[in-house]
Amino acid sequence: MKILKDKVAKLSFVALLATVTASMFYTPTVAAHGEKSQAAFMRMRTIHWFDLNWSKEEVAVNDTMTISGKFFVFSGWPETVDKPEISFLNIGIPGPVFIRAGSWIGGQLVPRSVSLELGETYDFKVLLKARRPGDWHVHTMLNVKGGGPIIGPGKWVTVTGSMSDFVNPVTTLTGETINLETYNLENTYFWHAFWYALGLAWMVYWMRKPMFIPRSIAVEAGKADSLISGTDRKVALGFAAGTIAIVAMSMGNTNEQYPVTTPLQAGLLRGIKSIEMPVPTVAVKVEDATYRVPGRAMQMTLTITNNGDSAIRLGEFNTAGVRFMDANVAQDETGYPDDLLAEEGLTVSDNSPLAPGQSRTVQVTASDAAWEVYRLADLIYDPDSRFAGLLFFWDEAGKRQMITIDAPLIPTFI
Amino acid sequence: MSASQSAVRSRAEAVKASRTFDWLICFTLFFVVLGGYHIHYMLTGGDWDFWTDWKDRRLWVTVAPIVSITFPAAVQSMLWWRYRLPFGAVLCVLGLLLGEWINRYLNFWGWTYFPVNFCFPSNLMPGAIVLDVILMTTGSMTATAVIGGMAWGLLFYPGNWPIIAPLHVPVEYNGMMMTLADLQGYHYVRTGTPEYIRMVEKGTLRTFGKDVAPVSAFFSAFVSILIYFLWHFFGQWFNKTDFVKAA
Repeated sequence: MKILKDKVAKLSFVALLATVTASMFYTPTVAAHGEKSQAAFMRMRTIHWFDLNWSKEEVAVNDTMTISGKFFVFSGWPETVDKPEISFLNIGIPGPVFIRAGSWIGGQLVPRSVSLELGETYDFKVLLKARRPGDWHVHTMLNVKGGGPIIGPGKWVTVTGSMSDFVNPVTTLTGETINLETYNLENTYFWHAFWYALGLAWMVYWMRKPMFIPRSIAVEAGKADSLISGTDRKVALGFAAGTIAIVAMSMGNTNEQYPVTTPLQAGLLRGIKSIEMPVPTVAVKVEDATYRVPGRAMQMTLTITNNGDSAIRLGEFNTAGVRFMDANVAQDETGYPDDLLAEEGLTVSDNSPLAPGQSRTVQVTASDAAWEVYRLADLIYDPDSRFAGLLFFWDEAGKRQMITIDAPLIPTFI
Repeated sequence: MSASQSAVRSRAEAVKASRTFDWLICFTLFFVVLGGYHIHYMLTGGDWDFWTDWKDRRLWVTVAPIVSITFPAAVQSMLWWRYRLPFGAVLCVLGLLLGEWINRYLNFWGWTYFPVNFCFPSNLMPGAIVLDVILMTTGSMTATAVIGGMAWGLLFYPGNWPIIAPLHVPVEYNGMMMTLADLQGYHYVRTGTPEYIRMVEKGTLRTFGKDVAPVSAFFSAFVSILIYFLWHFFGQWFNKTDFVKAA
């Protein structure tokens, strides 16, 4: 019986080792960016991305594509997140599979951090140059100091070709055109190898003689001074003098070779131009809002007042990048990511045109699996259980108006 | 063989055993230092050492020597006072650089495809050689701290300048001027390292104009002296043999 037990124990151990080893070889591509894990209120009440466009779904290495659109810096920015006074327009990709060839907010290049104002809408564009082949989820993204990365909607883009063909030519102000992908590489390897070799030489000098036991005995016996000879001192001084001389000479030579150098550039870009949005002629009051957990649906009671001169209809509710649309009023024609688009996800109890000067209270339901898939339903576990989003109304001429809403949300569990 | 008998029977055997012991200790020490020093330096120097667009003339020059003189001081303390071996600093830097290069090449380039010319480590070797030589020639912890610590701080920037200078050549890009290093930071997307995290060109040393690097280096050197003392004592404390003494 004991032999049997031992055998089982041994085999179990071998099986465990084999499993652990096998798991080490399973290395699937990491594609997600944690967008679904980010707290729902962060996605709903900070940056609202809309009118997004990914110019291509497939791009070859060295070719470019753009992501463009607008983002609204939500007026009801949560208290628990620092305001976007220091922010950076980033891009959510798994490492430099593209290079960021350019990024603009309000038409201004933004290689540095920017200061954004609450309640303002900005247009942006990011120019990407494909570098590494694969299928990549390409997200919009804004980093906010004290708030972290606020990731926007993502779309799959395929990069074809070979990374070895990638080049990144740049012309410097001294007139030289270089490939930034490999520039300065040999020089870096040379100097590191040189200094490493010098360090090794110093080590070898001491390691060729007996080290620990005899020297320890000598030190214990009070003969420590005898362990460093005159030759040792001369060699050491040679190393030190040589080191200082090499540093001085290499610095001098470098300054001759590169007479024009500048410090790293840094600083906050202020005064970023926002879009001058027209004064809304539609007023919306949220009477109440509930989230029905079993039905994966949010229901709002809205009182809509049309102060304009044309009848309007509600066509879209956009929150956290998920677009709930009433297909009878508006349809997406931009190729928006399917998983973020509920083409018939918006139901309005009475969505007949609301005439100018009239007011109406309606029940609006935004329902789709995206509530669950994108973990927006987790809003009910947030410390500040409020929701927010953008409502888009269309008038008879097809003109669109954007209205923001922000209200408490009550979950219902039955 | 009783416990009182020697494990070797001749001088030749003793020498051979001693050398084997040397190599075992050297090998172990090298990799222990590599691991410990690497973790320490990545936690305290981190991004300053990772990216070329962090290697500025103010904070990189100031921070990197201060946080990197630690392990060399401690290991010097052990190797010098117990064995009169003056290669503690160089051993540490050899270990650190090997670990860093493995990390940068396999992880930064091999896994995430950041070009090596964007994420190579800083060069600490000139300061390490001088630090070891000063300890050996003076035999004094105080002199090593003051002169060696000063040299450690002062040699850092010029020792790295031949490597980073080509990346400080300016470029005009879409109407803005930046260095090639800035452009690397902009081009090669780091989702977790937004531009505002960079701690570069911050501070109030504006009266020194463009000659701020030497001032930063001197400040770094002064602090390196203090850190050397502190870590030298750490080294001595860790090298106590109280716990193996017979009761």
